[in-house]
Amino acid sequence: MNIKLMQTKAIFVDAYRELNAKKLFWLTMGLNVLAVLIYASMGINERGFSLLFWTFDGEFNTNLMSKSTFYKLEFLLWGVPIWLSWCATILALISTAGIIPDLVSGGTIEPVLSKPIGRIRLFLTKYLTGLFFVGAQILVFSIGCFCVLRFRAGVTEFGLFLAIPIVLAFFSYLFAVCTLVGLVTKSTITALLLTILFWVFVFILNVGEQAMLSNRETAAVRLLDAPGKIEAQERFALKRVEQLREQGKVIPGEDGVPLPEGAADTLEAINPTLQIARTKQDDAQRAFDTWNTWETRVYTVKLIMPKTSETLSLLSRNLIDQEEIGGLLDMMNGINEENDPNAPDRRVAERVNEVMEDRTVAWILGTSFGFEFVILGLATLIFVRRDF
Amino acid sequence: MEAVIDVSGVEKMYRRKVHALRGVDLQVGAGEVFGLLGPNGAGKSTLVKVLLTVIKPTKCSGTILGQRIGDKSALREVGYLPEHHNFPKYLTSRQVLRYFGAMSGVERKERNKRADELLEVVNMSNWATHKLGTYSKGMRQRIGIAQALMNNPKLVVLDEPTDGVDPIGRKDIREILTRLKDEGRTVFLNSHLLSELEMVCDRVAIMVHGLMRQQGTIEELTEGQSGFVIKSHTPIDQIMIDSVSSVMNGVACNCEPGSTLLRLQTKDAQAVQPAIDTLRSKGVVLDSFGFQRPSLEDLFIQAVNEDEGGATPGATKSQKGGQA
Repeated sequence: MNIKLMQTKAIFVDAYRELNAKKLFWLTMGLNVLAVLIYASMGINERGFSLLFWTFDGEFNTNLMSKSTFYKLEFLLWGVPIWLSWCATILALISTAGIIPDLVSGGTIEPVLSKPIGRIRLFLTKYLTGLFFVGAQILVFSIGCFCVLRFRAGVTEFGLFLAIPIVLAFFSYLFAVCTLVGLVTKSTITALLLTILFWVFVFILNVGEQAMLSNRETAAVRLLDAPGKIEAQERFALKRVEQLREQGKVIPGEDGVPLPEGAADTLEAINPTLQIARTKQDDAQRAFDTWNTWETRVYTVKLIMPKTSETLSLLSRNLIDQEEIGGLLDMMNGINEENDPNAPDRRVAERVNEVMEDRTVAWILGTSFGFEFVILGLATLIFVRRDF
Repeated sequence: MEAVIDVSGVEKMYRRKVHALRGVDLQVGAGEVFGLLGPNGAGKSTLVKVLLTVIKPTKCSGTILGQRIGDKSALREVGYLPEHHNFPKYLTSRQVLRYFGAMSGVERKERNKRADELLEVVNMSNWATHKLGTYSKGMRQRIGIAQALMNNPKLVVLDEPTDGVDPIGRKDIREILTRLKDEGRTVFLNSHLLSELEMVCDRVAIMVHGLMRQQGTIEELTEGQSGFVIKSHTPIDQIMIDSVSSVMNGVACNCEPGSTLLRLQTKDAQAVQPAIDTLRSKGVVLDSFGFQRPSLEDLFIQAVNEDEGGATPGATKSQKGGQA
């Protein structure tokens, strides 16, 4: 066997034994299986929602959505964003955070470096072992969910396996940070804590940008609507002016004194709502400018950061028919213009959605992998140059 | 003799402050057991790590097994036991040996066979399936040595191999070293245990403050310092010393007035007889007479004391704008 292959295999086997010894690998694997069992225990039928052997009658039944949509939705609503993205990722970080600190600890690294293996290859192979075992866990979860969909809903959905590269890409951004911190500090705990801190920072940045984007688009919609509203009020005012003229009446000003013929503020005087509409337009413009400035700033920072949320949302883009579940998602997102006028309306949601959709797969993955490349490159450079 | 290690002008400066190696020249021939000694912080481990690419030298020229220093391909035929090793505790000793065998490029069938053979050699066969976490320090050291031999190396570098090993274990290690020498391998030993080195080394080098102070066989290093020692029952005065010196025909005669020891720098027992005759003719009672050679410990202490930095061990810190 080629020596490079032999060494790579040895490093992977060693990494497996290390994870195996920590028990966390199998614990996480067991939890993955448990998550699949919970996923399988839920269902939907013509009467309502079912859990194990019980059915809870209600409107949430197969008339609302098909079984396959129910399971896909379940996968997208909690399987990926809650289980894989949070719970399994935290467990995976705990399992793998020690890989690099353990490698570079005194007494461990010397015999390895004295072998005929280049430092870059050694370091990157170690990094890949972390990804490999996390990938294995996602694979188990995806296979489980695939089987549930196949046997419970009768649908063969290979698209579920997209979760493996997508969630792995998401994890790899964090693992790159964990690797760099672990290398610099040689501490598993520090690597883990700082990575989680970084993750929270990226999450807040993302939520902040979403909020600013939503506010900007709300202002933009108001701004777009303003000319129409002003025009309607102007039409109303002009009609009123004509009516008064036909009746031979004067047009009263603010203080009751008749306005001279052709006065500039005739329309506003006859229809105070017009002035309010104009003020609202100015307010909308100011709000738009403010939110646009902040959104641009946050977006610039976000540009160089990994796109964790967007990466995960790639799965829903490909896995589910938005038309089929659009109404349901609106309901879940609280979009209900008639009952709650202050809630973001459908147009705002659509515009935000458009902006998000404009962020292409290449942009999301390109900028995120760019970040990962820089962080990992920096870590590799440190590893290559360091004296042990 | 073909040089397995041939380096010159090796320098290592840590963070532009600590000058650990200050132009080390070193030649180790094929098939010899070479011992490197020096006080703590002399730079011994740093030198070894430079040779094995664990540390990058500030300046270095030379070869190891015919390849330039830093060339990883040469390491395929080198076995290394680091001083403070920490092999994975979650592995059994057999797994450790197989892992490092694979990292050195030993084929699977060969490494499985060799792992069992080496466990036998270091008397650890009964522990082959136990995890290293359950081992004593001495047991881990034995596994470390076996690990260094997994790739059937031409050059074996052992940094403090007897560290933490009991006397029986040390004897076993000496036997392993002798066996390696008999097999024609080159062994490079880094140790504080001078008596151990004296027993097994063909050549030694003494390193102090990042510089090689002495290098050669023990005979070469003690050349001019060995000779016959006469021990008298009573103190020898200056008159007696002068009398002995006058009959020695150029052989150096060292003795402090009032001392009971008279040193004569010659290997020729015949040449010493006039001194004995002279002392006896003066009525001096002799307790003993014999040939003495300085021990490695004597040489070591002498080298450290002669060092320009004094007897304080440890790497030197560079002064502004130049070397210490």
